[in-house]
Amino acid sequence: MSQSQPPIVSARHVSKIFRRDNFEVKALHDVSLDIPAGEFLALMGPSGSGKTTLLNMIAAIDRPTSGELTVMGERILELSDRQAARWRNEKIGYVFQTFNLIPVLTAAENVELPLLLTRLSKRERREHVAIALRLVGLADRMEHLPKQLSGGQEQRVAIARALVTDPAIILADEPTGDLDSQSATEVLEILARLNREHGKTIIMVTHDPHAASYARTTLHLEKGELLPAAAAAKP
Amino acid sequence: MTLAGFAAKNAFRNKRRTTLTVLSIAVSLLLLTLLMVVWRAFYIDQGTPSDARRLVTRNRVSLTFLLPAFYEQKIRALPGVVAVAPSNWFGGIYKDNKPENFFGQFGTNPADLLKVYPDFKIPPEQAAAWVKDRAGCIVDSRLAAAHHWNVGDHLFIKGSIFPVTLDLTVDGIFVSPVAFQSIYFNQEYVNQALPFMANLDDTFIVLTASPRDATRVADAIDAMFRDSPQPTRTETAKSFTLDFINMLGNIKAFMLAIASAVVFAILLVSANTMAMSVRERIREIAVLKTLGFPKNSILALLIGEAVTVTLLGGLIGVFLASLLLFGAAHGPAGQMLGNLRVTPGVFSLALVAAALVGILSGLLPSWRAASQPVVQGLRHVG
Ligand SMILES: Nc1ncnc2c1ncn2[C@@H]1O[C@H](COP(=O)(O)OP(=O)(O)O)[C@@H](O)[C@H]1O
Ligand SMILES: [Mg+2]
Repeated sequence: MSQSQPPIVSARHVSKIFRRDNFEVKALHDVSLDIPAGEFLALMGPSGSGKTTLLNMIAAIDRPTSGELTVMGERILELSDRQAARWRNEKIGYVFQTFNLIPVLTAAENVELPLLLTRLSKRERREHVAIALRLVGLADRMEHLPKQLSGGQEQRVAIARALVTDPAIILADEPTGDLDSQSATEVLEILARLNREHGKTIIMVTHDPHAASYARTTLHLEKGELLPAAAAAKP
Repeated sequence: MTLAGFAAKNAFRNKRRTTLTVLSIAVSLLLLTLLMVVWRAFYIDQGTPSDARRLVTRNRVSLTFLLPAFYEQKIRALPGVVAVAPSNWFGGIYKDNKPENFFGQFGTNPADLLKVYPDFKIPPEQAAAWVKDRAGCIVDSRLAAAHHWNVGDHLFIKGSIFPVTLDLTVDGIFVSPVAFQSIYFNQEYVNQALPFMANLDDTFIVLTASPRDATRVADAIDAMFRDSPQPTRTETAKSFTLDFINMLGNIKAFMLAIASAVVFAILLVSANTMAMSVRERIREIAVLKTLGFPKNSILALLIGEAVTVTLLGGLIGVFLASLLLFGAAHGPAGQMLGNLRVTPGVFSLALVAAALVGILSGLLPSWRAASQPVVQGLRHVG
């Protein structure tokens, strides 16, 4: 990736305050960062430090209270809910800690979900689903329901669902948090491969230094503030 | 997979709850369909073409007051009148008081009766035999089938209003477009036993030349007798039946009240199911939004789910209603039901009602769920 390209994510003095009845939670405070396209970034920090909040704002499912956030040239604050939904469907893949597959749908149907919002024909959708499931090594599990899969397999289906629309960015919120170490390694290898071979920008929240070791860059959040890269360098 | 397929799958997530909901909606729709069938038969169905040409003249005061027999001649003389026949309620008992042995017995003039009911189908030799037979009667084919009567059989009808027992020979069996649940006999029989009856009649059935004449002739008849001691009231056969039904009370309001209660009940049942079903899926709905599903698609998905359930219940209900009416029409009291059946109109209306209930009941919970901020939903546990 050439350095001259504009960053794919650019945050300037981003703050997020959650207001609850009569008290406020400062989830993010004055966060500024640039993430270049093609990056594999690990976002670390203790629980409650604002990692999920930052990820959600990059995905345009939440809005900053103040500051500027530009993702792929789109100013997140200016998108309507409807525009944000459409934009997210095309540009963002999201992987959750708890997989969040729909229990009544098969692996293939779960992966097909985001494609229902596109203009693709039934046949094209099926092709895309097959490719995505092959990429995560589950071509032989298409017709399985989530409950018939292991946790690691479920998370791989979730990754296939995140990448089936061929988004530029994949956001993963503690994707290995619920997995045993072997499944975790499989999932991390898939993410690394998507980054390396398919040029996806990956932003991954994690607690686990082993998981972070797959990333090219690691940033630390603490109490809503981004630590300087040098201060965070030591484990 | 399609969005509709997804909605249908969601509808059957909790199989037991959905089954119970579908069944309660089915039972309610069965009731609603039966109400609509009766409503149609009472208030919408106009009967056969000749029904529109037929009038009934009776005493203005009440059906229990009689009319002078000579009115018949005067009515027949009016322009536009094709035929007039007296029709006198005998009200006798056949065998016993059991409901299956109840049917109408009307004394009339055979030759005139066959003229005012041109749509009765009866073999000509049977009609001719009846016209000549003072102690004969003709019977509705459905009634004959139910009681296994054949031509030549004797029916003994014990009078309860009049102190006479009729011994009637079945001279003919007629087929009418709508079930009549009645027999007709020669009024002469009663008049011979009770001479005072010769000068009195209950009602006159009047056949006009065309449906357009009906109102004019009805007005002319009533005008002719307005100042006499026995003024008349003349209506189409249909409104005569309705008047009779309305003597039982305000049936229309009663039926509307039941129908509203039924619709309201299924609205509650369905809304409750949807509210439960949506509450269990707050997180999942947020996940769908994260995948890019806009509010409208979520709404469509959830309402589609509600409509799937109510439509299925509706289909089962309408099917049960059809089955029930079919069974009843072929059962012992079948001829009483006549034209009670699930018409395509009633069928569609019942399903439209079911779909509307689905939409209405799904609206509020779905709107709430679809409007929930994504972050809130994703943080939801449970
Ligand atoms: N929707 C919300 N409403 C209120 N407070 C919230 C909400 N989301 C997050 N918070 C608060 O903001 C802070 C950061 O949360 P989060 O970004 O989830 O942290 P992390 O993902 O790093 O564990 C926490 O104190 C959390 O309680
Ligand atoms: Mg978090």
